[in-house]
Amino acid sequence: MNQAVAISGVGCLCAAGMTLASASASMLRRERNPGPPRAFLTSHPSPYPVFEVLAALPRQGNNPELLRTTRLALSALAEALVDAGLDDADLFGLKVGVCIGTTVGSAMNNEDFYRDFRSGADPSMAPIERYLRSNPASAVARHYRLDGPCQVVVNACASGTDAIGLGASWVRSGVCDIALVGGADELCRTTYNGFASLMIADSKPCKPFDQQRRGLNLGEGAGMLVLESAASLRSRGKSPRGYLLGYGSGTDAYHLTAPHPEGRGLRQALAETLRTANVKAQQVSFINVHGTGTPDNDRVESLVLGQLFPRTPLVATKCYTGHTLGAAGAIEAVLTLASLEQQQLPGNVGLTHADPELSVYPSAEPVGVRGTLAISESLAFGGNNSALLIGLEVPR
Amino acid sequence: MTAIQINGLGLVGGFGCGQQALLGALEKGEVSPVAVALRDHHIPLLQADSAPLENFLNKRALRRIDHFSRLALLGAFQALEDAAQPALDKSRLGLVLASGFGPLTTTFDFLDSVIEDGDICASPTAFSNSVHNAAAAHISMQLQITGPNLTISQFDQSLAAGLLSAWQGLAEERVDAVLLGVVDEYCPVLGHCWEKFCEIPGAQRMTPLDFSRMTGIVGEGAAFFLLQRETPIPARYGRINSVKVGNLCGSKPQLEIVRPLILGCEGLLNNGATYGQYVANGQPVACYSPLYGASPVSPAFDLAVAALSLQRGLLFPSSDDGGDYYQGGVIRETRPCSALGCLRFGNDGEYAVIHLSRGDL
Repeated sequence: MNQAVAISGVGCLCAAGMTLASASASMLRRERNPGPPRAFLTSHPSPYPVFEVLAALPRQGNNPELLRTTRLALSALAEALVDAGLDDADLFGLKVGVCIGTTVGSAMNNEDFYRDFRSGADPSMAPIERYLRSNPASAVARHYRLDGPCQVVVNACASGTDAIGLGASWVRSGVCDIALVGGADELCRTTYNGFASLMIADSKPCKPFDQQRRGLNLGEGAGMLVLESAASLRSRGKSPRGYLLGYGSGTDAYHLTAPHPEGRGLRQALAETLRTANVKAQQVSFINVHGTGTPDNDRVESLVLGQLFPRTPLVATKCYTGHTLGAAGAIEAVLTLASLEQQQLPGNVGLTHADPELSVYPSAEPVGVRGTLAISESLAFGGNNSALLIGLEVPR
Repeated sequence: MTAIQINGLGLVGGFGCGQQALLGALEKGEVSPVAVALRDHHIPLLQADSAPLENFLNKRALRRIDHFSRLALLGAFQALEDAAQPALDKSRLGLVLASGFGPLTTTFDFLDSVIEDGDICASPTAFSNSVHNAAAAHISMQLQITGPNLTISQFDQSLAAGLLSAWQGLAEERVDAVLLGVVDEYCPVLGHCWEKFCEIPGAQRMTPLDFSRMTGIVGEGAAFFLLQRETPIPARYGRINSVKVGNLCGSKPQLEIVRPLILGCEGLLNNGATYGQYVANGQPVACYSPLYGASPVSPAFDLAVAALSLQRGLLFPSSDDGGDYYQGGVIRETRPCSALGCLRFGNDGEYAVIHLSRGDL
């Protein structure tokens, strides 16, 4: 079965840039600017650096009635729709589904509201009303008056990847003509304190795959893709920008917060991804790894990829974007497509002394690549692993 | 793929634990809520008790597992036990867990730890159990399910979203079976929100077919289904023929072909009237939400009632008989049933219609 689904437009917004083009360019220039959080206060003696989106969001992201997560999704989607050559009127009359991954965007965790509630006060319900209005998929559907399937994936750090894989199945099966898919997450004091409590946040800028890596830095942003049926593309006379060729997922069933030491679920996810695309490992030009910079994550990824893809170049983009949680898989999928188009990978800016215990790791410097196929993979809390195979063309 | 089979059920809700408890409630026609303390007063709750989980897991294994995940585990264990398929390949078994609000109690437990002890003393246990997919992770670990594992959250439409995902996984043969669960829990913040947004009923009985009054009582619980592709062997609980989702902004639910209908109304003013607007007067309907309360999990209990009805070939009388306030065709007597539908409207104009029929037809 041909699993290929056309990608007709992409958009991305993160600390590395407010558009896909600007993010890709800044990463190739090895620019990054993590710093202490500005969106909230923290009493940690040495604040953990974050990758915050400091610029104002574009017009679509200005609605104060919505959570920032949802506004990030709407902003990235606006770029993706322009890229796809679609406007509101084009979407009307089509069956358009929305599938978005998030973590913060689905959590009723407003700290100010809760402080008031537990003190016995009668807090304003505005934060709860905002939360109830801000399911990212529903908010997108409402914004564009869409009538297709609508769902939010909350698979922790694999949410964006899984949302893309699911949305592709909707298009493939004819459930919808177009699927607006991706992931979004905002920086949030609750998750900031949560990752600090798990002792997997680095107090310095993160260093994926480095011998001195100490953990992740949180980030925020959104990545969105327009997936479209061949019939819809033909009717518009539009050429695809790329293809989603394969998707797979697998579960560790091992530990709540640590990956399986042999990467059981990741192996399963990668095998399914290649199988569904009918592609061999040797055909893959590069892999955009999860690469959080935590000791466990990087060790397991290196172990699995060293065995399955020993000569395939790797790229770890979280050193430029931070770990954007539910958005990460989607941002990285979009960056993967951009790297395929440019035939160049950014260097791993945090890497100065590669961990000698790791058999494979990304290059510290930008490298050229050849080919039309690449994988983007995600490893998540709870033992969820998923991967996407993205291509510039459908392999014969 | 034309249909999926329901071959296992796992249930825990305000009516009790297991399908016998739900059948008993359906025959009796009512369930009494408990009164739970909320600040200086009490509110009614159709509360789910996860204690029977100890029949499946020892106390040591249950350490540090919160109420939300316990409800999920209890539903999952029951559904697999009920399906009685020991040869099921767990690497080809998908898990889809859907929840309207996710694990609320641990979310606020974590904030308690931050507020009481400061940022640097936040509780890692509460945080890790507050992540939306923690319950699915516990299920995968305890049952060694290594197939695709997906958690989704879509408020009122979480069941429909979960069904659609399960359907896709089965249709594309990514898996041989899907364990689909819907879970939601009560917590005091939810009770407070309920009081602020809705009128807590003075009466202890819901009348959801009275669209002019707020009579909803908060519910909680878990409903799990073992779903499989059609085979020559009849489905144990019936088959799901279609899951139609849409939004009233662009389409209307096609209800004429689905008779009778289980209505997902829950005694809430914000969307109750929508049922009255779109369900034709002559349409035979039933509503069972008084047995499990108002909650994002209640559409899953509706589906469980549909499954049990199809297995027995009999539809139970509506738990709300319509009194003198509903002019349509309320099912007031047990009647034969070989096909039926479940209808759920959400607050954003979203709707879902699930069409089922008997497994041996």
